[in-house]
Amino acid sequence: MKSKKLIGDVKAVPFLLPFFVVYAWFTVYPMLKGLQMSLYQWTLIRQMDYIGFANYSAMFKDRQFWEALWNTTLFVLLSTPGMVVLALVLALFANMRTRFRTFLRSSFFLPSILSVSVISFLAIFMLQPYTGFVNSLLHLMGSKAEPFWLADRNLAWVSIIGVTLWWTVGFNMILYLASLQEIPDYLYEAGTIDGATDGQLFWNVTLPLLAPITRVILLLQIIASYKVFSQIWLITRGGPGTKTRPIIQYIYETGFKNNDLGYAATMSYALFVILLVLSFIQLKLRPKEEV
Amino acid sequence: MKSVSLLQRILLVVALSLAVCFLIPVIWMLFVSVKTEGTPIKTLIDWFLPPYTFDNYANVLAKTPILRWMGNSLFIALIKTVLTVLFTSLAAFAISKLDFRYKHAIFLFFIAGLMIPGEATIIPLYAVVKEMDLLDSYLGIILPGIAAPLGVIILKSFFDGVPKELVESAKMDGGGSFKIYSHIALPLAKPALSSIAIFTFIGSWNNFLWPYLSITSEELYTLPVGIPTLLSNYTVDYVTPMTVNAIASIPVIIAFLLFEKQIVKGISFSGIKG
Repeated sequence: MKSKKLIGDVKAVPFLLPFFVVYAWFTVYPMLKGLQMSLYQWTLIRQMDYIGFANYSAMFKDRQFWEALWNTTLFVLLSTPGMVVLALVLALFANMRTRFRTFLRSSFFLPSILSVSVISFLAIFMLQPYTGFVNSLLHLMGSKAEPFWLADRNLAWVSIIGVTLWWTVGFNMILYLASLQEIPDYLYEAGTIDGATDGQLFWNVTLPLLAPITRVILLLQIIASYKVFSQIWLITRGGPGTKTRPIIQYIYETGFKNNDLGYAATMSYALFVILLVLSFIQLKLRPKEEV
Repeated sequence: MKSVSLLQRILLVVALSLAVCFLIPVIWMLFVSVKTEGTPIKTLIDWFLPPYTFDNYANVLAKTPILRWMGNSLFIALIKTVLTVLFTSLAAFAISKLDFRYKHAIFLFFIAGLMIPGEATIIPLYAVVKEMDLLDSYLGIILPGIAAPLGVIILKSFFDGVPKELVESAKMDGGGSFKIYSHIALPLAKPALSSIAIFTFIGSWNNFLWPYLSITSEELYTLPVGIPTLLSNYTVDYVTPMTVNAIASIPVIIAFLLFEKQIVKGISFSGIKG
């Protein structure tokens, strides 16, 4: 009996080993290493001094940390409603029975496949004052205003949120689209026979049946948005000043510009804890049969 | 179905206008990329009017390493996709179809990684990769991330659906585990495999943060890392930046139009499962 078990174990090894090695080395080990680093004064040239929880207590007193965390939270709060509502609206449009169906779908999704560097520089050039596309459009519509989109805190946020919506809302649209197509036609037919209007059908049939996917999109979106970095880095560098700097950028700058990897790892842990809590909420809220 | 047709017509117009809004930046980019440098732009319409020229493309292609970066991105994305599909499917197959001890514990250990966001471990990851002397190398860009827990979960649930009888009869015929894996399990899991492949490929192609941190030599740059280095020098002129952007985008736009159905299917499939 024992040898048979052993044979089973041996047979499984070549299947499990490749994944196990890479996973242990590049996911689990960095995780533990981060914990160690956060307890040290750790620089790029690896001068290590054990300092206990000093990094953690410094973090709680660091105004820049709280500002960056707030900026990230602001990004989440500002972008999420659009990421969900606009996605639903686009999905409803893309689900209409017209001969433009494929065109609508492709247009809404196309920006999502572009590289973050491309969309960022597209945004920078479209948003330039005096000569940029957006301001030219405003002038064409009779506005005399000359907004400096990336130089003002509020306008910079508007720009970042707008670009992010345009760039990524297509993904959520597709998730909604898949759900919409799973709603059986007979529900609508039955409703129509009972004399329900399109509006009533939408509120009483479509929306309730989309509730599960909305929950999934909402939480995936919140977790994903907490990790925002690239487009903000490329469009505003976190500016004006540090007014749009997200937490990942502050971590990056602390580690690589200020040469303080230990403190950067500490803040990574703070972000990790936040994401972990959000993931747990997601798991708790998810209906059991979907796991 | 009374006044519905009018309402639907209005909705269609709104939908089409929205679609055009989504496309305008891309269309604008393509038009600007074929303008002659320094053409005065007085009103909006000037962006789109001739004369057009493709000299910009020839210039950018000749004077910048953009093709090399594109090749790097393609190479890295392909290797990453193949390895991810291979490693996750092997592990998922073992957990679903083989008998061994501590199976459940190993599965839990693997999927616990879902809780670990790559962005939050980027600093220690940098230290680890540096320790292994893999910074600034293809291997250093490729290896992190190919052990994707989500892939294991999706594929395991797919392999669970492969009937036991099929596996047993293959065993009777003298097929080893590898044969069952490659001849029965993999072909049946094609939809899951292709959606994992599409996601890995797009994710790798567009990945910015990790390559940005780990690569320092210009000849190893991926496209997203390389583009910003070209553009910081040109803030007045619109033509060169948009030509760079267009060159970087046209291949993926073509690929998207060719594989649109599969991409959309892949996303909706794994979205529901994940």
